[in-house]
Amino acid sequence: MDIPVVPCHHCGEPVGDAARRVDAGGRAFCCEGCAAAAAWIEDADLGSYYRLRSASANRVQADRLDLASWDRAELQAEHSRAIDGGREIVLLTDGMRCAACAWLIDRALARETGVLDTTANAVTGRIRIAWDPARTHLSALLHRLAMLGYRPYLATGDAREQARLSERRRWLLRLGVAGLGSLQAMMLAEALYLDVNATMPLPTRDLFRWLTFLVSTPVVFYSGWPFLAGMARELRARHVGMDTLIASSTLLAYVASLVETIRGGTHVWYDAAVMFVFLLLAARMLEQRARNVATAQVDALARAQPVFAIRERDDGTRESVPPSALRVADVVCVPAGEGVPADGVLLDAAADFEEALLTGESRPVRRHAGETVYAGTTCRERPARLRVTATGTATRLSQLAELVDRAQGHRPPLAQLADRVGRHFVVSLLVLAVCVYIGWRMYQPERAFEVTLALLVISCPCALSLSVPAVLAAAHGALARCGVLATRPEALDTLARATDVVFDKTGTLSDGRPARVAVEVFDDLDADAATRIVAALEKDSGHPIATAFADVDARAWAQAVVARPGQGVEGDVDGRHWRFGRADWAAHRADDGGLWLGDGTHGVARFTLNERPREDAAIAIRALRAQGLDIHLASGDSEGAVQRLAHVLGIASTLARQSPEDKLARVRQLQSEGRIVAMVGDGLNDAPVLAGADVSIAMGEGAPLAQRAADLVATGPSLLRIADAVRVARLSRRLVKQNLAWSAGYNLLAVPLAAAGLVTPWIAALGMAVSSLVVTLNALRLARTSTEMAA
Amino acid sequence: MNILLMLLPISLVLLGLAIAAFAWAVRKGQFDDLDTPALDILDDAPPKQREDARAREGDDGA
Repeated sequence: MDIPVVPCHHCGEPVGDAARRVDAGGRAFCCEGCAAAAAWIEDADLGSYYRLRSASANRVQADRLDLASWDRAELQAEHSRAIDGGREIVLLTDGMRCAACAWLIDRALARETGVLDTTANAVTGRIRIAWDPARTHLSALLHRLAMLGYRPYLATGDAREQARLSERRRWLLRLGVAGLGSLQAMMLAEALYLDVNATMPLPTRDLFRWLTFLVSTPVVFYSGWPFLAGMARELRARHVGMDTLIASSTLLAYVASLVETIRGGTHVWYDAAVMFVFLLLAARMLEQRARNVATAQVDALARAQPVFAIRERDDGTRESVPPSALRVADVVCVPAGEGVPADGVLLDAAADFEEALLTGESRPVRRHAGETVYAGTTCRERPARLRVTATGTATRLSQLAELVDRAQGHRPPLAQLADRVGRHFVVSLLVLAVCVYIGWRMYQPERAFEVTLALLVISCPCALSLSVPAVLAAAHGALARCGVLATRPEALDTLARATDVVFDKTGTLSDGRPARVAVEVFDDLDADAATRIVAALEKDSGHPIATAFADVDARAWAQAVVARPGQGVEGDVDGRHWRFGRADWAAHRADDGGLWLGDGTHGVARFTLNERPREDAAIAIRALRAQGLDIHLASGDSEGAVQRLAHVLGIASTLARQSPEDKLARVRQLQSEGRIVAMVGDGLNDAPVLAGADVSIAMGEGAPLAQRAADLVATGPSLLRIADAVRVARLSRRLVKQNLAWSAGYNLLAVPLAAAGLVTPWIAALGMAVSSLVVTLNALRLARTSTEMAA
Repeated sequence: MNILLMLLPISLVLLGLAIAAFAWAVRKGQFDDLDTPALDILDDAPPKQREDARAREGDDGA
């Protein structure tokens, strides 16, 4: 009987028949955790979750977390605040993938007694819970979350969370004021525009002008404040950039209109000023929103730390203290399933640590007494005791994070095309305006002011400054649709110019699931028979290695199967007792890295397992090569494994046994040859390399810190997204160029006409609006192309 | 054109009201999450179940 591999009903991970659990409804689950979560969801009548969701859930960890420390007064004092009838806390979770998750969390928590109010936000990964401490413990609510697969983490502290929220709200308010204000200003301006033959009585005209002034003032100074502040900053740094451009043209239009209103001139341009602020604010918010999705969760999770550390006193008793109170040479106990609070040397028995945060590798690594374990790793299965060697900023985690920050600081500054063009443009325009004013002053003094203003308005770099943000906003949207989030604005530009892609092997090109590569037999048993015995043993073990044997029809059932953590499995097959695992345990010989089948004293077969390339790796690499990119592989793995993988995928340039420093050197070498390097990786060991490359992409399953170091984060495991991202990046670069060319061409045509006094200000305003519209519509082509691509 | 003297203040008052309403909505967190509430209407009568659940828990406690 061969059961095909099906996805888990809850988390969508493929389930081999070895580990499968099937419920009454015939749905398969990968583990107890997922089955329990799904059963609870059905029970609570929240089954619509499965209908509403657009992304699979997180795999649920079956082991019960110890969340009692969340109830402690010290923690709640720092991270929560008192509200009417209870307390309120904002916490982070890592499993919210789509809006349906937030929906589920809201509903699930609302069912608990003592919950006053909750809001879950899938975009920021934050959950706000208001509860009544008299009726329930916070930990009880968090257990419900953990049981559904949403593991709680401490957020950055109440004060910073509030600041983040109010900052976001202030931006929204600015946009709202700009929108409403500019609508009113446009309406009043329209009345003035329609008065073509100047039949309106002068007092009425002036009343309209003063009213427009009234509604434009908050838009320019309140909504436009980020631009004004940005200009002040840029001027202080003696670097004329985008904000100076925006703020100075807004202020020019505003001040010139005010002057005209006071002296009763022929024209005002309040509408140009407010529309300018509104459009640019909207473009900037769209761009920010796309980027926030990527950074809000990544950044905060990377800073997440254990809530409390358990310190052992000299007399052997234990106390729990905040991690910040730990000193070097303290002895710390780490319970199973908890994070390690500081770097330290393992004291007693060997224990397994999950180092995903550091390496992106989710499989636990065994550490023996005397070895160093690092802060940020998680202790699995067995509690551990360590002597602290480094705390706080001295830990490896902090050092790596700092290395990342420094590498980012030293990154060659990317001269942005629009910034450069814009700077020259605005400076030469101002010089030109002065010349024109002086010229007209001598030739026809009464028209000098009007002509200069027409020149400034028609060349008002609206189109120029819109051309880049509009394309960026459209590109971020297109990228998000194909599953890539850009965390830095210049990432797209560099990705479009990239010439080389460097892959890190572990977890990036391979799927992390072992496959059989070779079987050697040393006894009367043939290879097939040995494989079948192992398949029978592994069938119900739930061990990751089992997937390597999931395709084998065992034909026999193993009895009395016992899994020995760190050693292997043993059990009876066809009346014979077998062990399968490490050589010293299963075959009584020196450990050689292979997996042995034996009876404890004598080995009969040796299996070599290797990770397979991801299914889409070959296609993705072909697609990247078709785009003219050179592919490199730089891996920390052994020569043999790297060569095998490179051979399967057809990659010629490979380097094995690379340390992060070696990888960085390789990237620097390529850069010194004038190549632009895109790095794809997923571990924190890669973080310095990710930061050092011209542009970097972190795979979504990887370590949060690596994602923080990367310019782009792929939200799912598919490698094809990289090729898509490159395509979007190149298209957006082309569109930026077209837009810049268009607005430059428009200005080249319009400026001489305006300088010659042939353009009245209202034609100038119309010309400016049309050129902006063309630029925006051109950018929107990106959205259309990307839907075609996805289809 | 005397009607303008009435219409212009009205439009200004309406503008003030609109901005005040928007500011209120932003402060109340109406724009904090634009995706999740959209799912609420797709599900049948969940508030009633919530009441039921509360009631059931109350019974258990008694």
